[in-house]
Amino acid sequence: MPSMREPERVAEDGSSVPAGRRHVVKRIGCAVIASAAAVTLGLSVHHDVQTTAAVLSPASIKHATAADQQEECIYHAIRSELPSGAAVYINDPVVQWGNFQRLAELSTLWAVPQPSPATAQWTLSLVRRTSLVPGHCSGLALEIRRR
Amino acid sequence: MSALLLVIVGLGAPGFLPALAVAGRAPVLVFLAPLIGAGMAAVAAELELGVGGSLPTCYAVVAVAANVAVIAWWLAAGRFRLRAGPPWGWSIVTVVAVLGALIIPLSALRAPIIGWDANSIWLTHALMVSGGHHELLAGLQNAVYRFSNPDYPPLVPAAGALAFALFGRGDLHVAIDVTVLLNACALGIVGTGVAAVGSRRRQVTRLVAIAAAGAICLVGFAVSGGYGVDGYADLLWAAAAVGAIIWGLVLPRSTQTLVVASICAAVASLTKNEGLTTALIVLILIALRYRPLTLPGLRRLRAHPENRGLPDAAASQMARKWTERAAFVVVPALPGLAWAVMARLIGLQNAFFVSSSTESLLSRADATIAGMAAHLAVAPVAVAVLVAGCCFLRRDRERARLGNPAWLWTACLVSLAIIFATYLFGAFEIHGWLANSVNRTTIFAQVLLYADLAIWLVLAFDGVSAHEGSEQREASPAAVSAAGDAGHDREAGSLALAEGPGRLTGLAGAGRSRPAGPGTPQAESKY
Repeated sequence: MPSMREPERVAEDGSSVPAGRRHVVKRIGCAVIASAAAVTLGLSVHHDVQTTAAVLSPASIKHATAADQQEECIYHAIRSELPSGAAVYINDPVVQWGNFQRLAELSTLWAVPQPSPATAQWTLSLVRRTSLVPGHCSGLALEIRRR
Repeated sequence: MSALLLVIVGLGAPGFLPALAVAGRAPVLVFLAPLIGAGMAAVAAELELGVGGSLPTCYAVVAVAANVAVIAWWLAAGRFRLRAGPPWGWSIVTVVAVLGALIIPLSALRAPIIGWDANSIWLTHALMVSGGHHELLAGLQNAVYRFSNPDYPPLVPAAGALAFALFGRGDLHVAIDVTVLLNACALGIVGTGVAAVGSRRRQVTRLVAIAAAGAICLVGFAVSGGYGVDGYADLLWAAAAVGAIIWGLVLPRSTQTLVVASICAAVASLTKNEGLTTALIVLILIALRYRPLTLPGLRRLRAHPENRGLPDAAASQMARKWTERAAFVVVPALPGLAWAVMARLIGLQNAFFVSSSTESLLSRADATIAGMAAHLAVAPVAVAVLVAGCCFLRRDRERARLGNPAWLWTACLVSLAIIFATYLFGAFEIHGWLANSVNRTTIFAQVLLYADLAIWLVLAFDGVSAHEGSEQREASPAAVSAAGDAGHDREAGSLALAEGPGRLTGLAGAGRSRPAGPGTPQAESKY
């Protein structure tokens, strides 16, 4: 009498498992993998959409535009108020490392920052100014002193 | 925006022919061309620093030389026709889907944000490169600019300087935008790599693979947060390195995937110092995948009837293999290594190791582990999916001739170990250093693990929706052998990770060819 049992075959791990059960187990395993991967990727995609929305919020755009304009303003102020190739010493009166780096960056290709005031002809610094003072850059002004 | 598109054309046009030669009509072509152009710009910046001249001149020289070399190769090889590739329809849908996904994060370019490093490092260097040889050399050697990590590689500054050459320096933000677009291109290469995993499967799986490709592009920007769109270069090197892994260590071995991976590795190595170390790791693994180590190889070669009595022939064959392995690593890494050597020769030092920290190694290690773990929340899920995938989808991965996942995980763990060691032995105060950087130094590992999830997703979807016929095919794994790979596996009682990816610690058996399913494509070409 023929057996009614499912055919058996050797599985990947060497064990003898009925083929039908193996298919079911594999499908469940695949479903779990696909679900876990899809949910994890989906959460991250959602996070990106949120991040982009935050960057594009009116407040964020306003802040970024103001910072960009301030940068451009300082960049042009350096070029209009200093002679090309001037040896400058960057002095930061409020010891803001950020302002030092900004001035060094924005004077690149126009002035030559010096590591010591002894070799500099000019001293550059960024100082706070109210928006009523002419020549300010969104609350900051470039201060240049001849040595 | 039109200026930005023109810059991308300026980068993509010189890179188009080389990209076409490599990719044919595969969707990766669209994203590869601008990155090749950026790589050319970086090599041009190296020439500018090392030889002299200005960036536009050097860029023209490099672009013409590269294109002439490609045309000469094309003519010499008689390859006037494009290589056989995937169907046009699939390629177009993939490109549209990936570009469509990238539009979401790229829409952030409407806000002109500039990150800290974008200003203090990348814009500063871009202005230096833009000024020509003397300005570049003097600027990098100027002690005032030490804050800008002058030894950093030149790809991002060169691309920015090229934008200045085209449009002047009136709008500095255009250089930032170019970096963001290069980030997107690198992620596009990762995405098209994920899509390629499903390219030869059933239509529904192909669609899932394309959706996963779009998702991984968004994920890349998600894990980077604001750093993806404000001019930082961390996403660029990370995505390029992940692209190198997907194309070189995951997708089936072929000339095409090897060259795409090599280009990605070169881009990573030219973007940041971390990119150079990671690219070297990836290239070494690629060399070992394409030319597996054969410990008893010399003995077997000598025992081979053809080589009996000819120990020199066997030795020379071994030497040739080692030469090929070295070439797989050195050739793509050459531009990145050349920059590192030049930086050392002109006296530029990496700020991370100029002095030693007073903190104990234990406290630094504790802080580093906590800091890195906080940004690797995806790792437990990735490990669980890896284990489940190896249990249920081993044969599917073998049939698709995909690389063993151990390659990908080795690259990930070794790269993380190097970053960990940098924090451990670096000079800076550890808590401040981690607070400022660990969210960026872990982008590579995060994108890589998400890409691994996307690949398992495609395979699992194919597995869960497989009909009985395909299950039966799986039951007879010896049906067809993949011609190209079998030759490689036959090489050896090898230490190489067996390409059947489920075997995490497998040793390839000597003289054994790997089984593959009927759907397995023949090797696309020699490699």
